[in-house]
Amino acid sequence: MAEMVKLSVNGQEVEVEAGKNLIDAVGAVGIEIPHLCYHPALGADGNCRMCLVGIEDGRPPLVPACKTQAAEGMKVQLDAEHIKKIQHDVMELELINHPTDCPICDQAGECALQDYYQKYDGQESRMTVPQVQKSKKLDFGCGVVHDQERCILCARCVRFTRQITKTGELGIVNRTDDARVTIFPGRPLNNRYALNVVDLCPVGAMTSKDFRFKQRVWFLSRDKGVCHGCSKGCNIFIDHNKEKYKDDIIYRFRPRQNDQVNGYFICDEGRMTYKKENEDRLTVAKVNNAESIISSAVDTLKNAVSSSSNPVFLVSPNCSLEQMFAIKKLGETKGATLCGFSDGYIKQGDGDDLLIQDDKSANRAGLELLGVDTSKEAFQSAMKEADLLVNFNSDLTNSFDADTLDELLANCKFVMVATTQDILTDRAEIVIPVAAYSEYSGSVINADNILQMFNKAVVKNEPFDDIVNIVSRIGGDIEDNSAAWAGMKASVPTLKDVEPEQIPEQGLALNS
Amino acid sequence: MSIKVKTIVRNGRSWQERLYLIEVFKGMAITFRHFLSNFLDNSKLAVRHYPEVKPEITPRWRGRHRLTTHEDGTIKCVACYMCQTNCPAQCIQIEAGERGDDRTEKVPVKFDIDLLECIYCGYCVEACPMDAIRMDTGIFSVTSSTREEMKMSIDQLLATKGAFSEEEYKKGGA
Repeated sequence: MAEMVKLSVNGQEVEVEAGKNLIDAVGAVGIEIPHLCYHPALGADGNCRMCLVGIEDGRPPLVPACKTQAAEGMKVQLDAEHIKKIQHDVMELELINHPTDCPICDQAGECALQDYYQKYDGQESRMTVPQVQKSKKLDFGCGVVHDQERCILCARCVRFTRQITKTGELGIVNRTDDARVTIFPGRPLNNRYALNVVDLCPVGAMTSKDFRFKQRVWFLSRDKGVCHGCSKGCNIFIDHNKEKYKDDIIYRFRPRQNDQVNGYFICDEGRMTYKKENEDRLTVAKVNNAESIISSAVDTLKNAVSSSSNPVFLVSPNCSLEQMFAIKKLGETKGATLCGFSDGYIKQGDGDDLLIQDDKSANRAGLELLGVDTSKEAFQSAMKEADLLVNFNSDLTNSFDADTLDELLANCKFVMVATTQDILTDRAEIVIPVAAYSEYSGSVINADNILQMFNKAVVKNEPFDDIVNIVSRIGGDIEDNSAAWAGMKASVPTLKDVEPEQIPEQGLALNS
Repeated sequence: MSIKVKTIVRNGRSWQERLYLIEVFKGMAITFRHFLSNFLDNSKLAVRHYPEVKPEITPRWRGRHRLTTHEDGTIKCVACYMCQTNCPAQCIQIEAGERGDDRTEKVPVKFDIDLLECIYCGYCVEACPMDAIRMDTGIFSVTSSTREEMKMSIDQLLATKGAFSEEEYKKGGA
C-alpha cells in the first residue's frame, strides 16, 4: 500500500496517494483537473497550461498540476475565480485556430476540447481575423490520418513516438500559430504501435483511416474485452453497434488501461483483429457437404464420437480455460486423445519487448495448466490411428501445408467446430459454427501467467453457441462455465483457491 | 367566496319534442335547404374539390423531405449524422464516405429515409447544422403501392426541389 497524504481540494479534505502528481492523485479520488497535454504514460509536459491550479499560501501560488507532486497539507484551489478565468482563457486560446468542424470530425463525442469547451468556456469566438490555414487529411502512414488545423499541439503523439516506440517519426515544426505536427519528408510513421496516437490525441487531429467516417462514436456500445491476437492478452474496449435492421458489428478495438498487462496501449495488429470477428464468419452448419441445421449437425457429431473407436480432439490455444476443460472432460469420458498442437500459432522472432509476443494465441498457458499435450509428435502419432478428428477451432493451416494436411486427414473423418470459414471448414465432413470470443464469457491465461476474465460483449441477431455448450450437447458433463470452474478447482491445484467471480479487473497473477 | 352554479337547460323534454316526428321534419328542412342552395350555386361550398383542387401549403408545413444543394449543385449534407441521432422514429439511415470536391471531407454515400417510419416531426431539419435537409417540398400526401417505394434514397431526396422561394421559407422561421 502506497503512502497516503492528506490535502484539501476546494476546502474539501481528501486523502491521496503520495508521490503522484496532482492530476493523478486527486483524479483517483474522483476530482477531475482538466488537462490536455498530460498523459500518465507519457509524463508531464506542461505545455497546455490547462491544468494550472492555485495553491493557497503556497510559493508559487499558481502551478501546473501535472508537474506538482501531491504533498501533505497542500491547499489546492480549483474553483477559485482566478483559476476559472485561466481555464476559460486557455480554452479560448486553444480554440482561436481550431476549426469547429465537429459535425464531420470523428473525435466529436469523445473529444477533450469539446468537453472542456462545454465545461469551462462556452462562449462565442471573439476572433475577427480569418483562421490560419494548414494542411488537412495528411496520410502519416500506418493508417493514421492527420489534420493539422485541428491539432492543439499538445505533443502527445510526438512524445509517444519518442518515449514509447523510440522511433521518433513525428515532430513539431515552425513556431507560434504556424506550428504543426508533421513527419520528416518521405519518412512516414513506421512502427507497430502507431495507431495508439489516434487514442492519445485529445482532439480529432489524428484519426484512424480504418475507422474514419464509419460510425459516430455516440452510437457505439463500449464493452470490456481481452484481445486474443497474441499471448499478451491486452485489455481492450470492444466498440460495437447494432444498426437498425442489421447485425451487431464490431467497429474498432481500443486499448483499456491495465498496468499489470498492457499499460495504456495495444499493438496495431491486435487492434485490427476485430475484423476477424466480423468477416468470413461461419454461419451455417454442414453435414457431409450439405447444409444442415445446427442441432442436427451436433447430433450427427454426437453419434460419430460415440461410434468412433479412436477419436482425437484438437483444442485451439485460443479457446477459453472453461472450453478447454469441457473438451478435456469430454475426451476423458469418450476415450479420446486430446491434443493441443498449435506450433503454427508461434511466429518465432515476431515479438518485441513492449507488448507483441511470438505466440499468436491467447491461452497457451491454459493448455499447459490443464496438462494438454501440445507436442507435434503426440498429435501425429495420435492421428495415425485415429478414425475421427474433432477440431475445436484450431487453425491447422498455419502448421501444415495442404499436402501434409491431406496425408494427415486421409484415413479419418474430419469435424470442424469453428468460428471462421476457411479451407478446413470447406473440407470437413461435419461443420458446426460457434461463438467467437467477443460473443462468450470466459477466462484466459496470458504469457505472464495472469488469469483474466472477459464477458460477452457482442450479441448477434442469431447468436451461436459457445464451445462449452456444444461440448455438453455432444455428451460432456460440463454444462456451463460455473460447472467448468467447479471441476477445475477440484482437479487443477493452481486454480484451487481461485474464485472466478473474484478475479480482479486487472487480472490475477497465478503462482506456478 | 361562493361557488358559482350554472344551470344547464335540458332540451327535449317538451311534449312537442317528445313527439319526435316534428323535430325530424325540422331537421330535414335544414338539410334540404342547404342541398338546394348548394345545388343551385356551388361557389359558396364549404369543402374543397380535392384532389382536383389542392390545398394551399404554408412554407412552414412539414412535408416530404429533400436534400438541398449548394449553388453549384453539390450536396450540402456532410454526413454528420445529427438528423439520424435526433430522429425519434429512427427512420434515417446514413452511410458516410470521402468527399471528392474540396468543400469538406465527408459526404453521405447513402442517405435513406423510410417514409413509412417517419413521423414528420421535423427534428431532422432542426438538428441539421448545414441546412441540408428541409421539409419544404410541399408534398403532403405520400403514397405508394409497395413498402420499398416508400424508402427515399439519396438521389430521390436530391431530385425534389423546394416548393417555396428562399425568402418565403426563411420567413417561416427557418
